[in-house]
Amino acid sequence: MRKILPIANAIIAVGAGVLVLLGYFLPGIFGSIQSVLIQWAIILAAFALLLGVINLVLVHWKKVSTKQPGNIYSVVLLLSLVLTVIVVSLSGPTGFWSLWIFNTFQVPVEISLLAVLAIVLVYAGARLISRRPKWYTVLFIATALIVLLGSAPLFLLGEFTPLSALRAWLSQVPAMAGARGLLLGVALGTIATGLRILMGLERPYGG
Amino acid sequence: MEQVLNLIGEYLGILFLLLCLGLIIFYAIRGRNRPARSLREIAAFTRFRREVGLAVEAGKRLHISLGRGNINDLQGGSAFIGLTILDRCARAASNSDRPPVATSGDGTVTILSQDTLQSTYRSLAAEQRYDPTSARLTGLTPLAYAAGAIPAIHDEQVSASILAGHFGSEIALLTEAGERSHCLTVAGTDSIPAQAVLYAAADEPLLGEELYAGGAYLGANPVHEASLQMQDILRWVLVAAILLGAILRLVGALP
Repeated sequence: MRKILPIANAIIAVGAGVLVLLGYFLPGIFGSIQSVLIQWAIILAAFALLLGVINLVLVHWKKVSTKQPGNIYSVVLLLSLVLTVIVVSLSGPTGFWSLWIFNTFQVPVEISLLAVLAIVLVYAGARLISRRPKWYTVLFIATALIVLLGSAPLFLLGEFTPLSALRAWLSQVPAMAGARGLLLGVALGTIATGLRILMGLERPYGG
Repeated sequence: MEQVLNLIGEYLGILFLLLCLGLIIFYAIRGRNRPARSLREIAAFTRFRREVGLAVEAGKRLHISLGRGNINDLQGGSAFIGLTILDRCARAASNSDRPPVATSGDGTVTILSQDTLQSTYRSLAAEQRYDPTSARLTGLTPLAYAAGAIPAIHDEQVSASILAGHFGSEIALLTEAGERSHCLTVAGTDSIPAQAVLYAAADEPLLGEELYAGGAYLGANPVHEASLQMQDILRWVLVAAILLGAILRLVGALP
């Protein structure tokens, strides 16, 4: 059984993957099978989410029960989770109290994290000069500054047209060209990864 | 002629995939009878391999962040590389007191990371070492995911952190956590804005397709090397096609 199960997993995964792929190229023959398989995948993903939440509870329960440092945060997380589940179950996903929880807790906390993120990015930019003191680091920071300054009217000066034009050229020509080059590399890498999985040579599903 | 071109256009995608598949199979078969090809050095992987060895000796933990990409769409491709890296790290750290910890922002990827760890330990006849809480879902929105993964870096004696998956600019919070915990951060993603952030924030950023070479550089499977060779060839083909297209456009042969 221990040997059969991984082989069966691989056959199901490879078969489903090939059928979904063929559905994109030959929609007349495989289109209906493809849409059924994708619907199954969406349903399974919803169950996976539920299992993920159970995993989250187990991780934090373990932290609380073993009295690890900072376990008070885990207590807060578990209590928030239980309260949110109760409120959303009673009020519905778009009910008044569900939206109140979302707008009162989730949104402000995420906006605060975004503010922290802005500071972290500025700090990382400043630290970059000491970490990689190379000419291309200076070019990177100078380009970032030009794009930043050209994106909004300057204090007391208003909009500085040459800077805005330079920003537009930088983002539309060299940055776009570089991004497309990177995307081509990413696309080839993604194709290679997908093919290895379809060939059954890489089995991230316990095969 | 037009009909032939239309037919080729219609099936260009599948022809391209078959070409990729053919090249991978060709190089995989050819590679069996030849010594391993030397790969160009990528500093990030060299440092990471060294850090894995040091982590095992020092009794410290490795953290693998798989991002928040959903495997039902294109963003999941990079998470599969993260899973390959997780497998390699679990194997390398199988003698360590502290098994690696994996964090992700998608339920399916979390289950796959648990499955990867379990099957790796099973293949090493050490299934008792598997702990389901080593692979965790830390949050479902980008910032919630980052906020949930930061304690794993800070509190669990992590000596090296590898971020391999789909991220946005929130990846800077994870690299910052690594910086504060004095642990090495190697990071790669499929997202272009996040790659720009990584260039500034990570110790060792993996840009473009470098992330996808992870399996080959960490010695996962000979087929990873064959895929690298396929990517190299097709990259040159694409460069030639782009240049040819630009020249044809310049001389007015293309609309």
